Amino acid sequence: MDRLVIAGREFDSRLMVGTGKFSSNKLMSEAIAASGSEIVTVALRRVDIENENDDMLAAIDRGKYLLLPNTSGARDAAEAVRLSRLARAATGINWVKLEVTPDPYYLLPDPVETLKAAEILIKDGFVVLPYINADPILAKKLEDVGTAVVMPLASPIGSNQGIKTRSAIEIIIEQASVPVVVDAGLGLPSHAAEAMEMGADAVLVNTAIATAENPCLMAKAFRLAVEAGRGGYEAGASGVSREANASSPLTGFLRD
Amino acid sequence: MGRIKVNGVEKEFGAGEFPFNLSELLEMLKVDSATVVAEIGGDIIERSKFSETVIEDGDSVELIRFVPGG
Repeated sequence: MDRLVIAGREFDSRLMVGTGKFSSNKLMSEAIAASGSEIVTVALRRVDIENENDDMLAAIDRGKYLLLPNTSGARDAAEAVRLSRLARAATGINWVKLEVTPDPYYLLPDPVETLKAAEILIKDGFVVLPYINADPILAKKLEDVGTAVVMPLASPIGSNQGIKTRSAIEIIIEQASVPVVVDAGLGLPSHAAEAMEMGADAVLVNTAIATAENPCLMAKAFRLAVEAGRGGYEAGASGVSREANASSPLTGFLRD
Repeated sequence: MGRIKVNGVEKEFGAGEFPFNLSELLEMLKVDSATVVAEIGGDIIERSKFSETVIEDGDSVELIRFVPGG
């Protein structure tokens, strides 16, 4: 299968995984391994100065996985830029998953602030992976300012609803010249396979894996689904018809 | 007496305790400096500069770390 290329860097896996909501760091690192993913997202928050802080990065092999800090919690462009710069200072990584979600209920991304932040970050040397609503015009505008990918949502973050934005994502895929990563709302392996069959270049999954009864098995199931879906896309699906088309010969029947 | 703000929380220090540097502040707070990134007054402080960055009365310090997220 083709390799995924983002900002000139090649990846074998087309499944990115988030690290949130796992019941332990050990389970998180086992599930990441089972997913076959090469890109894992992390968030930034204040240190709790009253209590001991857990170092989750110790559970992620930085030689094996590209750490992709996100700007979750940012409500506007300024906060997202600040978080991105802090992440870069902490890790030396200039890749950032740009999220600007002022609405706490649906966590829908703010298109205006996301575009504004993307422009600032790209000028500052960042590789920007923006989380967006499935808006083809916005996707094009982001691509034009130089984002490395576009990441349209399938449905609200953590909702496990599957692909509710299918026709808009199809347009984004049709028009994009950067990789399209379907992010948020993929609740089942079949949802990930569907996105890949549609021609998405990759998917990002967190909640569906982390909160499954068996996260490692679910991570593996998503890995297989992403591979299957991509294979189906690259193989070139045959068309759909209303009538039956016999698979067996219509000649030589045992009758006169 | 002096006051600094750490992650939005006011911390009081006796007059004799100033000056101290960022590394010393992290030690006092029992925070592992290898896992944090810091801002003072909105400016990011590189980790290699922690021990030469002096904290002064009235400073606002932000200490940030990575946490799990999607």
